[in-house]
Amino acid sequence: MRGLLAGLLHEKNITVEFVPLGYADMAAKLEAEVTTGKVTVTVVGGLATEIDFFASKGLLEDLGKFGTLPDRTFVRTALNVVDEMKNRYGVTAFAPWMTATFLVVVNNRAFEYLPQGLTKEDVLTGTEKWTWDALVAWARNIYEKTGERRMGLPAGAGGLLHRLLHGYLYVSYTGYQSRHFDSPEAVELWNMLKELWKYCHPESTTWAAMADPLIRGDVWIAWDHTARVVAALKTMPETFTAVPVPRGLNSRGYIIVLAGLAIPKGAPDQDAGWELIEFLTRPEIQARVAENVGFFPVVEEATPVIVDPGIKVLSAGVSRQLATPDGKAVFIPVLGGKAGDYVALYREAFERIVLKGEEITGVLAELRPKLDAIFTELGIEAP
Amino acid sequence: MSFLRRAAPYLLVLPSLVYALVFTGYPLAYVLGMAFSGRNPAILEVIFSPRLGEAALFTAVIVASVIPAQLALAIFASLFFLQNFRGRDLVLYIFVIPLAVSEVAAALLWYTMLSSSGFLNKALMRIGLISRPIYFFGYQFRDRTLLAIVLTEIWRATAIVFVIIYAGLQMINREYLEAADVFGMSFWQKLRYVILPLLKPSIQTALVIRTLFALQIVGPIFVLGGEYIRVLATEVVYWYSMRLNPAVASAWAVLVGAVTLALGGLYIKLLSPKGVMQ
Repeated sequence: MRGLLAGLLHEKNITVEFVPLGYADMAAKLEAEVTTGKVTVTVVGGLATEIDFFASKGLLEDLGKFGTLPDRTFVRTALNVVDEMKNRYGVTAFAPWMTATFLVVVNNRAFEYLPQGLTKEDVLTGTEKWTWDALVAWARNIYEKTGERRMGLPAGAGGLLHRLLHGYLYVSYTGYQSRHFDSPEAVELWNMLKELWKYCHPESTTWAAMADPLIRGDVWIAWDHTARVVAALKTMPETFTAVPVPRGLNSRGYIIVLAGLAIPKGAPDQDAGWELIEFLTRPEIQARVAENVGFFPVVEEATPVIVDPGIKVLSAGVSRQLATPDGKAVFIPVLGGKAGDYVALYREAFERIVLKGEEITGVLAELRPKLDAIFTELGIEAP
Repeated sequence: MSFLRRAAPYLLVLPSLVYALVFTGYPLAYVLGMAFSGRNPAILEVIFSPRLGEAALFTAVIVASVIPAQLALAIFASLFFLQNFRGRDLVLYIFVIPLAVSEVAAALLWYTMLSSSGFLNKALMRIGLISRPIYFFGYQFRDRTLLAIVLTEIWRATAIVFVIIYAGLQMINREYLEAADVFGMSFWQKLRYVILPLLKPSIQTALVIRTLFALQIVGPIFVLGGEYIRVLATEVVYWYSMRLNPAVASAWAVLVGAVTLALGGLYIKLLSPKGVMQ
């Protein structure tokens, strides 16, 4: 990042100090600075959900006042999020910066253990045979033939398992992330997951990211965010293949993640901040970012320019996922301060149903009202 | 006495008092405010939380395992290092090194040692003792994970207790020990009737300090146990960082504080050094 920003110094004589912060620290800092009027941050970069939280508290400038960014086409899905926030909060809260998704990374050895009726081609192109049930059969086959559980999920503290639940499984089985939380299709989902868990590596509950388990060879099939597997692909690009996620009863649900750049209200050097935003959204710079952090460009002109072999593999997987005919792309619901509670409900469901073995319909019935309460309070429809 | 002479003690304490009020008192008042204020105070949510039982249980298990073990180890290590042998200072130095390692680094170290493809399992499989790895981590192995957490803490922090006990031991007048020898006391009798009573103040200090820190362990628990082993302190982090709810996090912090105060008070009452001088 710092190397990249040196380019901006060279070109426009703007020095940028790059400060990586965890989200909780960033939120505390921003709130403190903006409310006291002593802002030290010119540009803040974060996930769209984080930026939504800041915008909901009125902490951001309206970027509309700076004009438009020339010579680049932002992907439609990114612009939709900007528009949604504009409707909700009245400001153009951010400029799209990078995008990512979650997919499946397979150690090529695993292809020797494909179950009956599933071919590598099915998996790569995402045919109707590549289902979550087929994945269960695959993991079971590996277990029966090798005695080891080689499927892995990021179920640890800081892991993104909840995204799998609401953004992938629920969409794939019920068509929605939360609207049909306790439907019969949802029960099917949880039954499948319980079965899959039998063949998942037990240390999954300690993993926040799948890169290391993949590199170590503990896991042969992993589901995770592109940024959390990129280290494995860059280290050993010939060992792995990135493939689209399986499908469920309803569709092949997957999440598109968006990161953006915003300017805090009352920030110093705002014009320089806008120059920085212009710089970071240029196609060549976008390609270089993709090669380094496992997040992908938001401008269409950037994709052809990527060179790194590991990123190429990952990028191929992302493209395949985005190209599946039955793919259903969703965004992480934008819930402001309630995001933590939303996620906690899905994680609680996982812990009680899959880990503790509680009865499915009972747990779902108990948690459903709490989920609905979140949407009622926010005044939005269940996603 | 002039006014200045009478006021001097208070004036000397004033800077520390101001510091404490500003940097400890104000944040403390703020946290208490967040925990107790409002029509639906966060503290109630904590008291009636379904997570409280498990958190309290795991806290108790970890604290009750770590502290006695560390105390015993520290006392025996102190007695050991009291003797003069060649290379003693070097061994002492090595013994204290883990103190320099951060909580999280220590946890990552032990994770690497105990994970299914880690050092211990590879070694045992190499010599043929086992053919399948032993799992220490994972939801179904929580009791073993607790063991790993306890081991990590003992490895890392026994030196803190040791340093305090060792200093206390060195202050015991040799004449008492020599008198005990003259009376023909065995090692265990000496320990029980001479050494331990004279060590009481140090033990008390060590226990208070160690318990205070033991109740704040979060790093190793998150690293080794994921989200599935909960103690009171990890709940504070969880509610602040992951649930974005500072009020409930404050309430849990108040609970941790209350437990710490209670235990501290208990130590002071039980271990007050009356009767030591007899």
